[in-house]
Amino acid sequence: MSSADRVFERRIVSKRRTSANLEDEPEKQCPNGWASVVAAAAAAASSSSSTLRQKAAACKTSQRTTFQPHPDSICDWFFKVMVLGDSGVGKTCLLVRFRDDMFLGGNYISTVGVDFRNKIISVDDSKVKLQIWDTAGQERFRSVTHAYYRDAHALLLLYDVTNKVSFDNIRAWLSEIRDYANDQVVIMLIGNKADCSLNDRMVKREDGEQLAKEYSVTFMETSAKSGFNVEIAFMAVARELLFKKTGIEKKGSFNVQDYMKEQTKSNCPACSTT
Amino acid sequence: MEDDLPSKYEVIVIGTGMTESIVAAAASRIGKRVLHLDRNDYYGGMWASFTFEALQKWLDECRNGKTNDFVKTSSPLVQDTEKSITIGNQFSTVFNIEEKWFIPEKLPSVGNLLSAKITQTEDSPKESKDGLTETEATLKQNDKLWCQAKIKSMGRKFNLDLAPKLLFSRGTLVELLISSNISRYAEFRCVNRILTWQSDKLETVPCSRADVFATKNVGLIEKRQLMQLLTLCVEYKPESGEFKGFEDKTLKQYLESKGLTENLMHYVLYAIAMSNDTTPCMVGVERTQRFLSSLGRYGNTPFLWPMYGTGELPQCFCRLCAVFGGVYHLKRAADSVIAANNECKAILSDGSRLDCDHLVMGVADAPPEFLGSVPKAGLSRGIFIIDRSISTTDKESLTLLQFPIKGKEPITVIEAGPSTHVCPPGLYLLHMTTKQIDNAVNDLKPAVDALLHSEYADGTTIRINTDTQSTQTSKEGDSSASSGESNILNESLKPQILYALYFNCPETSEYDLSQNVPSNVHLCSGPDLAVDYEFAVKQAKSIFSKMYPDSEFLPRAPDPEELSLEVDEAAGPPFQSSEEPKEE
Repeated sequence: MSSADRVFERRIVSKRRTSANLEDEPEKQCPNGWASVVAAAAAAASSSSSTLRQKAAACKTSQRTTFQPHPDSICDWFFKVMVLGDSGVGKTCLLVRFRDDMFLGGNYISTVGVDFRNKIISVDDSKVKLQIWDTAGQERFRSVTHAYYRDAHALLLLYDVTNKVSFDNIRAWLSEIRDYANDQVVIMLIGNKADCSLNDRMVKREDGEQLAKEYSVTFMETSAKSGFNVEIAFMAVARELLFKKTGIEKKGSFNVQDYMKEQTKSNCPACSTT
Repeated sequence: MEDDLPSKYEVIVIGTGMTESIVAAAASRIGKRVLHLDRNDYYGGMWASFTFEALQKWLDECRNGKTNDFVKTSSPLVQDTEKSITIGNQFSTVFNIEEKWFIPEKLPSVGNLLSAKITQTEDSPKESKDGLTETEATLKQNDKLWCQAKIKSMGRKFNLDLAPKLLFSRGTLVELLISSNISRYAEFRCVNRILTWQSDKLETVPCSRADVFATKNVGLIEKRQLMQLLTLCVEYKPESGEFKGFEDKTLKQYLESKGLTENLMHYVLYAIAMSNDTTPCMVGVERTQRFLSSLGRYGNTPFLWPMYGTGELPQCFCRLCAVFGGVYHLKRAADSVIAANNECKAILSDGSRLDCDHLVMGVADAPPEFLGSVPKAGLSRGIFIIDRSISTTDKESLTLLQFPIKGKEPITVIEAGPSTHVCPPGLYLLHMTTKQIDNAVNDLKPAVDALLHSEYADGTTIRINTDTQSTQTSKEGDSSASSGESNILNESLKPQILYALYFNCPETSEYDLSQNVPSNVHLCSGPDLAVDYEFAVKQAKSIFSKMYPDSEFLPRAPDPEELSLEVDEAAGPPFQSSEEPKEE
């Protein structure tokens, strides 16, 4: 990536900062990369000890304020990814599989306490921080807060290939997304639990592909249990997000579907397409 | 799905208004089993923000009323010793709805437009200077013409607040958002301009030290006076004796005694102290202190405005409640409250009995007999979609204006633009709120007449400044300093109202809501008159401490890094080293 990228978006300074010097450097570029956005959190969090003057300086540059801590990690890019779909399709499992590389099996675990998880991945020569948000169980009675969709850079829409209803509900989820999410949001449809036996499978891979095509979103089958395609799905999303940000000057175009086909070929010979 | 709803809770919260949501979050945070219901398919109740379409739907429901089909007086779920109290209808609480368009349904076709005249300016129109043909100019201007269909097609881009409010940068809500770590769910924008209405024109109020120095609206001696007074208020301590003798007088009388000019008095009284002629001196001093202490934390005014509108804030608290295990169910009404011996035992909802130790509910959801003589009158609200800012500068502003009305509460005016995601580009939203005296239309009329152009626009003409120079002034120099200079409010510069909505709703903040309720039922007021959230936070805290006197109110929620996942069984086999970058 050339330095010209900075024209489009200043990158987050890759320097780990302590809370002490956050106070001293209130004028940091915003995590979500929109110009004129400042993470004033730091200044806010330790307000009692700092002078008004320092904070005033922080605000001169920007009108927009978030209290959220600056993502202080060593990363070049920061994206928010939201996971959506019916209860029990494996949203939390997928998240945990990707983040911690383990499977929450056995008992049904509700999503208590899991708010969002951060993970830094490398895409080419860039460090990308994905902040992956879970629904906090509000999807159970179709009561996900609209605020959840705001500012999402990407949405992973999950259904369970062994549960037809969860697949049928995808259209409803998509219409809700269209109502509240950003127009530029990257959407990926994911059929989870693809490790199931042929007998248990209720949704054919082709049906998922068809639906994805209809809504012009990318599609993939995964298994949080076996780990099948999980990392690739997140990598593909990260790549597409990155491409949207930086791709303008790069030659050609980036096709997620092609990328995924390539990846699935090379990495997952075992993945059957029913 | 419905059957999955467990039937026993420690706290049931009905309604997702601000206060209710804070209480729900606080209870869930300390590990209580919380069920949070709302009969609507949206969050926030009377605190919600709507897209244009959703607003229309809400209005329809308000007009038609939504009745509870399920009214069963005797149910096998209610025991003999218990009493079932039917819950009322919330929409009867919104009244005097007046909705009006000031633009045609559809624009005339371009062909017709060409023949239509464009209001001429004294200077020739800018487009012709650029060498555009008449057709091109018309087409270009067509973009600026509005019709109902165009607004509706952009309806999704609106977030129209039922209860627009601002946060004091050092107010209790900001402190609570930070201390509880809920701040990560929301983003804010600083209000960057405080205007006042004086001598029939808008002026920018200098609030910060820098503003006072920079302003050209006040003279040098006035500046010193103002600085002295503000310093005095900030440093005021009860023992200083500065306000001795004014304890039972008004702030205005105190300011007069200091020999302030009329100009300064207006700034301090209406804009900084956010008071009026009758505000007691000490109340005014307290308000001034609060105003000044919030300055400079995030911006040059004391206020913050939530991105996407105020309806986001209750949702932030609901999210936290859900993260800690609270169960959420929208589109689920509570039909009645079951009580025995002045204690609430359970609620009936959709044929199920849901037991609880505590019941928290908004006034809009409370049965009439819980409310007693709660006044029905309260707030006069106006929502206006307008085509430009009330005081245009070269960059978009977020504005607060306390429009003074002689002898009455001022009209609070909040103007927000597209950068806060409350309306599409090219438009502004203007919110007006005041205490109800008559009805919303009449109560808000003084401000509407003064600030807005409320004649019907037929969609063929564009109103252009008759004096172009008056708009140009603001382009020179720093906008904050110069915006005060460009306040010549030419009639033709006034924003055109495209759409106006007026309504009245109750304001119960001064009413003791615990009078007629069982001991473990806690009622939450709807939105109050004040511009900030102090009341809602205070009420939520007091309800929480009544329920759980020994527990901490919303302790800091851990960051995800601080959580370790506990898994019953061993982790599955690793499939790939996750930190390793994958090369193609």
